[in-house]
Amino acid sequence: MNKLHISTIINGDAQEFLCDPTATLLDVLRDGIGLTGTKEGCASGDCGACTVVLDGQMVCSCLVLAAEAQGRTVATIEGVAEGAMLHPVQRQFLEHGALQCGFCTPGFIVAAKALLDRNPNPTETEIRYWLAGNLCRCTGYDKIVRAVMDAAAELRQERMPA
Amino acid sequence: MNAPQKQDGFQVVGTRPVRPDGVDKVTGKALYGTDFKAPGMLQGAVLRSPHPHARIRAIDTRKAEALPGVKAVVTGRDFPSLQSLIMAVGESASDIVHVARNCLALDKVLYEGHAVAAVAATSPEIAREAAALIEVDYEVLPHVLGLEEALADDAPLLHDDVFTKGVSPRPDKPSNASMRVEMGKGDVDAALAGAAVVVSGRYTMEPVHQGYIEPHACVASWNADGQAQIWCSSQGHFAIRSLTASTLGIPQADIRVTPLEIGGGFGGKTTVYLEPVAMLLSRKAGRPVRLAMSREDVFRASGPAPGAVIDVRIGADADGMLVAAEVDFKYHSGAYPAITAHSGVSSAVGHYRIANTRLIGWEVLCNRPATKAYRAPGAPQVNFAVESAIDEIAGKLGMDPLELRLKNAVAPGDPQTSGVPFGMIGWIECLEAARAHPHWSAPLGPNQGRGVAGGYWGNYGGPSTASVSLGEDGSVLVTTGSPDIGGSRAAMAIMAAEVLEVPYEKVRCTIADTASIGFSMVTGGSRVTFATGKAVVDAANMVKDTLRERAARMWGVAAADVEWRDGAAHCTGGDKAGESMAIGTIAARAIFAGGPVSAEAAINAAGWLPGFGVHICDTEVDAETGQVRVVRYTAIQDVGRAIHPDYVEGQMQGGAVQGIGWALNETYIYNAQGKLDNPGFLDYRMPVASDVPMIDTVMVEVPNPDHPFGVKGVGEVPIVPPLAAVANAVARATGVRMHDLPLSPDRVYAALHPEG
Amino acid sequence: MRIVIMPPFDREFFGTDRLDLAATNLFDLVGQLDALAPGFATIAQVRATFAIDGVVTHDWASPLANVTEVILLPRVGGG
Repeated sequence: MNKLHISTIINGDAQEFLCDPTATLLDVLRDGIGLTGTKEGCASGDCGACTVVLDGQMVCSCLVLAAEAQGRTVATIEGVAEGAMLHPVQRQFLEHGALQCGFCTPGFIVAAKALLDRNPNPTETEIRYWLAGNLCRCTGYDKIVRAVMDAAAELRQERMPA
Repeated sequence: MNAPQKQDGFQVVGTRPVRPDGVDKVTGKALYGTDFKAPGMLQGAVLRSPHPHARIRAIDTRKAEALPGVKAVVTGRDFPSLQSLIMAVGESASDIVHVARNCLALDKVLYEGHAVAAVAATSPEIAREAAALIEVDYEVLPHVLGLEEALADDAPLLHDDVFTKGVSPRPDKPSNASMRVEMGKGDVDAALAGAAVVVSGRYTMEPVHQGYIEPHACVASWNADGQAQIWCSSQGHFAIRSLTASTLGIPQADIRVTPLEIGGGFGGKTTVYLEPVAMLLSRKAGRPVRLAMSREDVFRASGPAPGAVIDVRIGADADGMLVAAEVDFKYHSGAYPAITAHSGVSSAVGHYRIANTRLIGWEVLCNRPATKAYRAPGAPQVNFAVESAIDEIAGKLGMDPLELRLKNAVAPGDPQTSGVPFGMIGWIECLEAARAHPHWSAPLGPNQGRGVAGGYWGNYGGPSTASVSLGEDGSVLVTTGSPDIGGSRAAMAIMAAEVLEVPYEKVRCTIADTASIGFSMVTGGSRVTFATGKAVVDAANMVKDTLRERAARMWGVAAADVEWRDGAAHCTGGDKAGESMAIGTIAARAIFAGGPVSAEAAINAAGWLPGFGVHICDTEVDAETGQVRVVRYTAIQDVGRAIHPDYVEGQMQGGAVQGIGWALNETYIYNAQGKLDNPGFLDYRMPVASDVPMIDTVMVEVPNPDHPFGVKGVGEVPIVPPLAAVANAVARATGVRMHDLPLSPDRVYAALHPEG
Repeated sequence: MRIVIMPPFDREFFGTDRLDLAATNLFDLVGQLDALAPGFATIAQVRATFAIDGVVTHDWASPLANVTEVILLPRVGGG
């Protein structure tokens, strides 16, 4: 099988890779590029552990072919913090104890950030439905939802004119 | 929210600091099962049986071996010949032969998905292609899935060397009933005959899966000199070591197991499925090998919790005193003998004072994956039946269901089912907290009903090793062998900080590999904060004593003249009285006063106590669709003492939502051919965020006198009450009592529309 | 000293749920029980728990002088 040559932008940096035509974006992120923060829980788009943002669109990277990333931008969990500065969603997950095993956490944080990027003031119900594609088996979602609500409040505060 | 608060004289215990491993886990840096790579690593694939029951006549691996890129192929024949040996795995016991055969079948496959052969190759694609080239000649045998079908005289027999344990005289014929447990006292039949009210019913459910999001995975590297390394995520790397060593017949010291972060376990990651197979492949190939399960593999071949058929009869007098209980249940054992019937029998009605009981549990072999522990293994199933029946009694007597439970609740000193008296339990306190909670008296909306249920789990202690050592700057390193699944590093650091009276941030916690610290039992049985916590406290106390002794030597005074306070030694006698020396100062000079400061505690912790919980659930039932929605939920639990309340609440909330899933949606669905029809998260429907409300928690604290800070296990209790809490809420919302889980829309609709 | 044997060990090994034995400690007791039911000692280490006068103990070396009752019960598995 001939490899495809793909040029993309991952977390703001130009990245080129070779991949099989059948390889998923998840495979290439994890095994090719070594960004293992994006997790595989099901490989069928049901658990959300592999959530990334592709050209501003939240996707399950297990359902996207790596070749589809050609010329596009990919944002993963590794790019959520700005350098050493945690994103408010990350910080609030820690403050609330909104993770137990932590395996689903990258997917939740990428998804929650995607929500808050477009809706800075979501209701609890909106948060619950937005995150309904992400499975967490440890927390029962309570602390996750609270963390996202508090992160939203923090972001609104930041954005208010001084 | 996370501001430290002083509580009950504690400085750090009871606060909610950020966990030490937190940043790694919110930034994607933490390495889980499939994140680890070894140089030159090969990728493995496992060939699994398409049949639920078949004899393996022959396996031809030649085509697979000939495929370019294939470096090794193994089958069950590559295991050494093994003698039956019962080994402790966590708190349960398994026959090592069964463990090996479950990793790779030898003569028979016992369930669809049973591993038959494995391949290591230079890429996952080649490994999968090669696995598909392996030719297995099966003689398909009749299979059996159901509990009562498996006990029938003419049922297909899974093992010809399993004889029912727990019956006398010892049977002379093999059976699919691997064990029978009976306990009880008094005269049940007479008491029921005299009871004012008797309820009875048959309750059923199919197996459910633990549903951890991280599939099983490992990397193994077995060198030519016999020494090996394994990197894997598990609930106990020492258990991985002992099971791998025993199934392969090699010394434990030749295997070094390094724990990776674990993406959920709930009891399901207390055994080996892949590690011995990866070892065999690695030895053949001479290179490290990774094996990983797909989600389908996890559903088809890793241990679910048993399904059950439970018959219950409970009687009460006119005042609501329970007079007799008869419980007879059968649990799926799956392909190999399990031992959850013990805990089912002992926890069935142990939370009530009942003079007359007959409690019988059966373990039943059938052509399904071997069941494994799932959070309070064996308790939720039987609790669902008993707590449903209790609710019915309350209804018949017109009594408040909490009052009925309070009236019959066991208290400290009352005998458990085993006869051993209960210690300082907090069951009555939980029931009283439920009655006082605003949820219990809140008004309900149309089509809504409120259910309540209570239950308990025995918890455990057991062996753990922990070390506490100081850096030369006085910062504190805690090392344990207990994998952190839910924030236990934070609990360990809190307890060490409390003992040494230093800030939490000065303490860091590492989970060491099997070559770097002494033995610890698995992270299971709700034991880590209790048992490993005790070891940490012991080691921290030893370090504190050493620091006082070192300070005394530096000052030239007697150790009795030095006291430890606020993270410093204070001289109270001699000519240095009034002087103090901070931990950092002592640590910096320690090597000139006796050597580095370090202590290790290796204990077998006893003194654990059962935990009790009461859950209140409001459901709203849509009669048009049969859909049940949980609209409000409160979990109340005696936790002894919450070391880090966020993670205690988290256990309660997570357990409750798993229980909601078990009650409403989750179930294994096998077809008539014995194949699993729903081996994925789309059709095995676990709760998502939009399915559930906030889970309110009340942590009742009745401290355990046998733990330095009062800890009781908290992880397993919260999955015991939810099944009945949800079912009781549905019964009260609809007026119809349903006996078969899950209460899925089709079943609820059918129950509400019996005319069709 | 009364030995109370809980299921399934009563039927699986001893054919009774009560024994009267004198033993110096639990190691000694397990040895005596193994003599009555060969094979018991092996499984005791992995499947059994003992309560001495109502208190579960992991210390098999603790002396049993002045003890009136030992309960032998199955160790309960946890998740």
